Amino acid sequence: MLSKHDSWHERFFDIFNYLFLILFALATVLPFVYIIAGSFATEAELAERSFFIFPRDISLSAYEYIFSSSTLFRSMGVSIYITIVGTITNLFFTLTMAYALSRKDLMGRNIVMNMVIFSMLFSGGMIPGYLVVKELGLVNTYAAVILPGAISAFNLIVIRNFFQNLPAGLEESARIDGCNDIGVLWRIVIPLSMPIIATFGLFYAVGHWNNFFSALLYLNDHNKWPLQVMLREIVMLSQLAIGDLNNVDPEFVEPPDQSVKMAVIIVGTIPILLVYPFLQKHFAKGALLGSIKG
Amino acid sequence: MNAAWIAKLKKDRFLYLLLLPGLLYFLVFKYAPMWGVLISFQNFQPFLGFWKSEWIGFTHFENFFAHPDFFRLLRNTLILGFYDLIFFFPAPIIIALLLNEIRLAYFKRWIQTLIYVPHFISMVIVASMTYVFLTTQDGLVNEIIFNLTGKKINFLADPSWFRPMIILQIMWKETGWGTIIFLAALASVDVEQYEAAIVDGASRFQRLIHITLPAISSVIVILLILRLGNFLDTGFEQIFLMTNSLNRTVADVFDTYVYFVGITQGAFSYSTAIGLFKSLVGIVLIYGSNWLAKRFGQEGIY
Amino acid sequence: MNKKTNKGKLKAGWLLVLAVAMLLTACSSNNGGNTQPSNSPTTNPPTENANANTDDVEVKEDPLKLDIMIAAFSTDLPDDNSPIIKALEEYTNTDVNVQFVPNSSYPDKVNITLVSGEIPHIMVVDRNSASFINAARAGAFWDVGPYLKDYPNLAQAHEVTLNNTSIDGKNYGIYRSRVLGRMGVTLNVDWMNNLGLSAPTTIDEFYNILKAFKEDDPDQNGKDDTYGIVVSKYSGPWDIMQVWFGAPNKWGEDENGQLLPTHMFPEYREALKFFRQLYEEGLVNEDFAVMDSAAWNDPFVNGKAGAFVDVADNARRLDNAMQEKAPRDTPYTDVFQAPVGPKGHRDMPTSGYNGMLAISKSSVKTEEELKRVLKFLDQLNDVEMKLLLERGVEGRHYEMVDGHIKSLINDDPALLKEIESLNQMLMYIGPEAPSIEQTPLNEKINAVQKANEEIVVGNPAEPLISEVYAQLGQQMDNIIADARIQYIVGQIDDAGLDAAIELWKKNGGDDYIAEINELYQQIK
Repeated sequence: MLSKHDSWHERFFDIFNYLFLILFALATVLPFVYIIAGSFATEAELAERSFFIFPRDISLSAYEYIFSSSTLFRSMGVSIYITIVGTITNLFFTLTMAYALSRKDLMGRNIVMNMVIFSMLFSGGMIPGYLVVKELGLVNTYAAVILPGAISAFNLIVIRNFFQNLPAGLEESARIDGCNDIGVLWRIVIPLSMPIIATFGLFYAVGHWNNFFSALLYLNDHNKWPLQVMLREIVMLSQLAIGDLNNVDPEFVEPPDQSVKMAVIIVGTIPILLVYPFLQKHFAKGALLGSIKG
Repeated sequence: MNAAWIAKLKKDRFLYLLLLPGLLYFLVFKYAPMWGVLISFQNFQPFLGFWKSEWIGFTHFENFFAHPDFFRLLRNTLILGFYDLIFFFPAPIIIALLLNEIRLAYFKRWIQTLIYVPHFISMVIVASMTYVFLTTQDGLVNEIIFNLTGKKINFLADPSWFRPMIILQIMWKETGWGTIIFLAALASVDVEQYEAAIVDGASRFQRLIHITLPAISSVIVILLILRLGNFLDTGFEQIFLMTNSLNRTVADVFDTYVYFVGITQGAFSYSTAIGLFKSLVGIVLIYGSNWLAKRFGQEGIY
Repeated sequence: MNKKTNKGKLKAGWLLVLAVAMLLTACSSNNGGNTQPSNSPTTNPPTENANANTDDVEVKEDPLKLDIMIAAFSTDLPDDNSPIIKALEEYTNTDVNVQFVPNSSYPDKVNITLVSGEIPHIMVVDRNSASFINAARAGAFWDVGPYLKDYPNLAQAHEVTLNNTSIDGKNYGIYRSRVLGRMGVTLNVDWMNNLGLSAPTTIDEFYNILKAFKEDDPDQNGKDDTYGIVVSKYSGPWDIMQVWFGAPNKWGEDENGQLLPTHMFPEYREALKFFRQLYEEGLVNEDFAVMDSAAWNDPFVNGKAGAFVDVADNARRLDNAMQEKAPRDTPYTDVFQAPVGPKGHRDMPTSGYNGMLAISKSSVKTEEELKRVLKFLDQLNDVEMKLLLERGVEGRHYEMVDGHIKSLINDDPALLKEIESLNQMLMYIGPEAPSIEQTPLNEKINAVQKANEEIVVGNPAEPLISEVYAQLGQQMDNIIADARIQYIVGQIDDAGLDAAIELWKKNGGDDYIAEINELYQQIK
C-alpha cells in the first residue's frame, strides 16, 4: 500500500487521502442506504424516525406490492431494451461523426463544428421537436425515444478531442495495411479508445435509463412506457401536499406509501448501478497501452 | 470547382460517409425544429400553431428587460453560476486526482462505485432528505449543532445559506459522476511516463504537475468552455424545490422564472424569448472562452 | 397511423442498411464477422404485449368511436380488453379508446395535443390553463352550454359551478364535480380526552386547544415535546384560517361594491396577527415555512402535533396511519367544522370542480355527432356508469351488501389494473350512486362536509379571466405569499406588510384590480 521510497509527507498525504475518500464515499452513500433501509421498513417507522440504517421491523410489503404489478417486468424490459438499442445507436452516430470531425484535413469541418456548437445552445424547444417526430411518423414507436437524442453535442465534442489526441502513426500503419478511413476507425481508433467509449456509452446508457420525459411525450400507449415513468409518477404523487387541490384529487387518488416510493427507487436504480463496475476494467491505468501492445 | 478540391473530396469520401449519419441527425432533429426559436417574436398559441399566431416583434424582450425583477434574477443567476464554477466545477477533478493517487485497485473501485450512486437519486428525494437533515425542528444536523453550540442554524430559511446549500447539494450529488470522465482521461496516460519520472527521482507532486495534469488539461479546458456556454443554466428543479417564502429573494433565477411564466402561465413565446437571451449569452461565452483558450495554446473545442 | 409507422420504420431501416454497409466496406482485407448490429430502433422488444388491437372493423351497427384523454395516477392501467371498458362500450354503444397520460406531465401533453391538431373527441382540461382558454376562444372546443338542458343528467349540472367554469360566458366543457365544503379541522382524540377538551366552536376555543396541546402535556409523558398545529410549506392552512376571521376568499367586495383582493381587507390583517401569535407561542411548528409537504402528516401521526387544518377527509388518512402503528377499535382522530369567527361562521370552499371534459371540434365535426357525444357523457352520469367506472363490475370488483358497496379488489393488482384511473372520466352530476359502508369517522367527515355547504364563502371573481394575472400572476402571488410568511415569523412588521402590498399594486396589482372590476361589472 505504501511504497518504501515515500517520504514522510507523502505518507501523510496517503493517509489523509484514504481517510478523505472514505468519508466522502460514506457521505454519498449513506442516504442511499437509508432509502434501502426505508424500503424494508414499516410505514409507522418511516413516519417516526427521520433517518436510520437498520429498520426495527423488516417488512417486505413494499416489494410484494411492487413485484405483484404486472407492468413492472414489462416496463423494466422496455427500459433495458431502450437503453441497449439506444446506446448502440448513440455510439454509432457519435463515434462516426466524431472521428470524421477529428481529422484536421477534412474540408468543411469547421462549418459542421460550428453547426454542432450552435445547436447546443439554440434549440427549437419541445413543440417543434414533437412536430418533427410526428412528421417522421415516429410517434408511439421506440424510435421516437431514441433517435431525437442520437447525438449529444457535448459528448461528440469531447470524444472528438480524444480522437484528435491519439498517436497519428498508428493510423498511418493501418492505412498501409489496406484499410480505408472506415477501417481505421473500426480497427484502430475504436479499440484504442475503449476507456472513452465505455465512459460515453455509460453516459448515454444512464441518460436512456433515466429518461421519462420523451417516453411520456411520444409514447401514447401505456404498455410501451419504460420503468422511469412508473418511478416518476410514484415519486411525484407522494410529494404532493394532501390538500393541494390544484394538483390532484386526493379523494380519488391515495398517495403511495413511503416505503413503496423507496422500493421503487431501489428497483429502478440498482440495474443501472450495476453497469458501472463492469465497465471499470476499462478505466484501469494503462488500458490504452495494453491495447496497443496487444 | 477546382480539381484539387475534387481530388480531396474523393480522397476523403469515406470520411464524408462517416460524417453523413451525424450530419443528417443534426439537420433533421436539431435544425428542422429550429423555427421554434422564432416564436419568441410571436404570441404563440399551441392551438393556432406557428403560422396563425400573431407576430409581435421584440415585445417579449422589452418586457423581460423592463421587468422589475430582471436585475435581481440576473444577479442571482450570475452569482449561482460563479459559485458553481468556482466550487463545483473543480470538485470532480480533485476527486479524480486523489483517486488516481490510490494504489490499492479494489479500494479505488469501491470508492468510485459508491460516490457515483447519488447521481441516480432524483432531486425530489434529495430535497426531501435535505429537509430531514437540516430542519430546525428535530433535524439531525441541527440537533448536533445545538448540542455543541446551544444554537440552531436555519439553513433552509436563511437567505445567506441558500447558495452554499445549493452548491453543496449539487457537489454531493454530481461530483462522483463527474469524476468518471476525468478517470477515463487519466486511463489514457502512458504508464511508462510515470516509470521514467520515478527513475528520474520526481516526487509525486512533481509527477502530478508534469505528467498527470497536462494529460487531462485538454479535457478540463473543453469541459470548462462547454460549461461556460451553459453559464446561465442553473437548473430548474433543484432551485424550485429548495425555494421558500423566506429565501426567495436570493433563490429566484431565470430558470425558475421561465418555469412559472412558461409552464404555469402558458406564455410559450415569452419563455422562449428568455431562453433565447440565455443562449445568446452562452454563445458569446463559448466563442470568447474558446478564443482565449487558443491564445493560451490550448486546443479549445474546435 | 399504420402507414406513418411504416414510414418511420423505412427510415430507420435505411439507416440500418447504411450502418451495415459501412461496416462491410470497412476493410478491404477481411470483414469482421462478429460485428452485426443486433437491432434496429423500431423493433419491438420481446417483452412487449401483443397489443395488435388495430382491427377497425365495425362490429355492431354503429358504435360511436371515441378517443378520450384522461390523467393517470398509476402506470398499471386498464387495457382495451378490461371488462370495465367492455361494459362501458356495451352500455353506451361506443368504441372507446382511452388515452392515459401520467398526471405529472398532463399539462405538457395537453399543449402537445393542441399543437398537433389531433385532438381527441373528449379530453380532460384545466379550465384555468392559458393554452386551453386560448384554444377555446379560437374555436377548438364546442360550447355545450345550450345543449345541456336536453340531457336528463347533464341538465342537473349546478348553475353556480357552470358559471365558474365558463369562459366569456360560454361552457367549453362539462365540469367534474367535487365536494365543495371539503375543509375541516382534525384533532387528536386522545389528547382532547386527556385534557377534557370539547369541540372548538369559536376561534378562541380553537386557540385554547392549541395552547393546551402545547403546554398541558396532552400525551401525559411528562415531557414538553408537543405542540398545537402542524403546517407545511404548502400554504393551504393559512388560506383556510384567514377566511374564518372574515377575510374574503381571494376576492371580496368593499363597502362601495368594488372587488378587492383579500390581502387588502382589515380582517386579513387580524388573521395574520393571530398566526403570528401562534408562531411566537410555539403553537405551530417552527419550521413550517420550509417543511417538505411530503412529511406534513408525520408530526401528527407521531404524536408531536395535535391539530391539522386541511381537507376534512385527511382525518381518515391520519387515522389510518396511526392505526397502522398501533391498531385499535376506536379512531385516533376526530374532525370538526371551522370555528366561528368575529364575522360569523365561515369556511373556505374548494372550487367545487376539478377540470372539465371538453369536446373538440376537430374530431366531432357536426352538431349531430356532438349530440351523440353528449349522450355518451350524459350516460356516464347514470348510476350504472358511476358504479362501473368507480367500483368496477359487480361480482368481480365489488358486491352489494345491504345496499352498500363491498369492494372485492383487496389490493389484487390484476383487478386494480382493470379499473385504475377510469374514475377520471366521471363528472358526478345527477343521481348519486351507492357508496361503501361508512365507518363512524367517515360519517363524521361526510357530515362536516355536508354542513360546510352552508358556511362556505364563494369567490366572486372565480369565473373572471384576467389577462394581467395570466402574465404577472405568479410573481404577484409570490409577493403576497412571501410577505405573509415573513410577517408570521416576525421578519417584517405591519409597515413591511404595507410595503409588500404597495409593491404588489405597483407590479401589476392596480391593473389587476381594475381589470377584475371591469369584468365583474360586465357579468353582474
